[in-house]
Amino acid sequence: MSSLLRVNWGPQHPITGHLRFILDLDGDIVVNAIPEIGYTHRGIEKLAENRNYLQVVPLVERVCNIDSFNVSLGYVMAVEELMGVKVPERAQFIRTIMAELGRIMSHLYWFAIFGVAAGLFTLIMWPIADRELFIDLAEMVVGSRVTYSYFTPGGVFADLPDEFDKRAAKTLAYFERRIGEYEVIFLHNKLYQLRTMHVGVLDSRKAIELAVAGPSARGSGIRMDVRSDEPYAAYDQLDFEVPVEDSGDACARAKIRLREMKESVLLVRQALNKLPEGPIRVRVPPILPREDAYSRVECGRGEFGIHVVGQGSDRPYRLKISTPSFRNMSALPHMLKGARLADLPIIYHSMDIWPLDVDR
Amino acid sequence: MDLFNLLVKVAVFPGAAFISTYTYFVIWLERKLLARVMLRIGPLHVGKYAGILQVMADFIKLLGKETIVPSNADRALFMAMPIIAVGIASLPLAAIPLDEYWVIFRSDYSLLYILGVFSLYPIVAALTGWISNNKYSFIGGLRAAYQLVGYEVPMHFSLASVAILSSSLNIVEIIKKQSNVWFVFLAPLSCLIYFISSLAEQERTPFDIPEAEQEIVLGWMTEYTGMSFGLFYLAYYVRLCIGSLLITALFLGGWYGPPIMPPFAWFLVKSAAVIVFIILIRGAFPRVRMDQLLNIAWRILTPLAIISILATMALQAVIGTIGW
Repeated sequence: MSSLLRVNWGPQHPITGHLRFILDLDGDIVVNAIPEIGYTHRGIEKLAENRNYLQVVPLVERVCNIDSFNVSLGYVMAVEELMGVKVPERAQFIRTIMAELGRIMSHLYWFAIFGVAAGLFTLIMWPIADRELFIDLAEMVVGSRVTYSYFTPGGVFADLPDEFDKRAAKTLAYFERRIGEYEVIFLHNKLYQLRTMHVGVLDSRKAIELAVAGPSARGSGIRMDVRSDEPYAAYDQLDFEVPVEDSGDACARAKIRLREMKESVLLVRQALNKLPEGPIRVRVPPILPREDAYSRVECGRGEFGIHVVGQGSDRPYRLKISTPSFRNMSALPHMLKGARLADLPIIYHSMDIWPLDVDR
Repeated sequence: MDLFNLLVKVAVFPGAAFISTYTYFVIWLERKLLARVMLRIGPLHVGKYAGILQVMADFIKLLGKETIVPSNADRALFMAMPIIAVGIASLPLAAIPLDEYWVIFRSDYSLLYILGVFSLYPIVAALTGWISNNKYSFIGGLRAAYQLVGYEVPMHFSLASVAILSSSLNIVEIIKKQSNVWFVFLAPLSCLIYFISSLAEQERTPFDIPEAEQEIVLGWMTEYTGMSFGLFYLAYYVRLCIGSLLITALFLGGWYGPPIMPPFAWFLVKSAAVIVFIILIRGAFPRVRMDQLLNIAWRILTPLAIISILATMALQAVIGTIGW
């Protein structure tokens, strides 16, 4: 063992985020990578037991603040299932629109970091600047910019403003053009292909064994997406394609996310066209019944599951959250074995792991 | 009188004062231009025009920072290394003629001298990585040494065709030979190979492997803070400037140009254009991996450089017969 160099990679490091890897290096090759999580543990599951179920919405959003629409949608759906509430049609469509905007924002953020992981600093600026437009859209509807607390049990708390259609159409048209530019500077960039192709390969059998979730699993050729497998909100009334790539390398996972952003643009357009009239919220009972409910949604990072147990008061008895980043994290030690040190940030960020999401 | 002349040249032009001013503007240009590529604004408020004094402000800030020496590092060497780095980085300038008159060190073998002192710098990098006694620095230093193995051979091969074309190793003579046709037109392949390997030599994107921030923090400079880091930063840009001056001298016709500007101004304009190109490359490309760089250098650039030498020899024979 003496010929191995043990390196501490993170948590104070330019690219790891709040995570730590203990690496054993043999020259340039990673022999062993031990991830160490927990630097951002906030005890959200425990905190939720001391709040009433409405106060839990802003709390749960902090699980994955970069994708707060989708995460809060999961919690809200579980509470509704517990109470047996039927959400009005218009609210379902508005939820779908906002969830897809959230997915685009989440993917843009991933894109920025993934670009930097390979040393291209232009990519941290362009997607973040484009994300600003979507944040503005969300701000127009909700009033806040990152954590929204927009979905409430029974519906959404405010209707879409009048000029939302026009503004959204403009932003989406601009963004579709931008995705084309990203493909040119990123997917068709020879050096980028050199860095990402055949790097961090995860074949589909191994991906199933390691329970990889979301776009990372779809990059390994597994066709799974909660939106189409078990439709929620208004997804059953909309047409969309679930992108799947077979090669299972970092480049495939990147392609999946770019294609998903395109798909989300189409979804938002469709939902805006089909948007029915009607109420946006129904009244819900003030207490959670003494039962339990589980709901799952497709977050930007993959399948997000949440289990809520009621105790006959306004507070949940127990909240259990299963996050996609945690599942993808468990695949990392396997993927990093035998990789080169320079590929480490690329493999790590191609899985789109958000440390807050891992630790909860 | 000769001694006085020499002193003026070393201290003012084309020596210390000139290269520091030029480096200053290049640092500013890189920050401003890269910011525009990234859809940012870049330095704006310090100084009257476009944040021109921002670099000065940052250097003053660095002066005020504490210099931390790691307890396990070799203290004397650790403190000396940044100064050695700046010294070694600016050595090649002595033989670069900005004009027929303005050259510090005249020799018939000045090209060899430049190649020699230019390759000293990776040794500084490797040594700094070693004495810092930090694992990231250590890996960065080793990578710098590996990189040297990668780019050195194609680089020297590509310069061989320059020597053949000008039948001289004296840079002044090489530039004079380009009064009619620049060597970039006679040996375009060599120019391309030299450009790529000089990117690797200056540790510029896409070959900034020894200081890859995402993998090894700041590579061999990880442990440096304050002004000692600032000096490394200075050395980095001095090398960028000198590298671009060298490309201008060897391939882009040096001081020759239409007589609307003085010769040395032509020299600077051309080298600034090279620098702009290098900065734009940084805005558009990710970093390659160490093994990929070695692949590119040994499997693509070296054979191409040999082909280029043969082609240049043939060309030289043709030029010799028709007496051009």
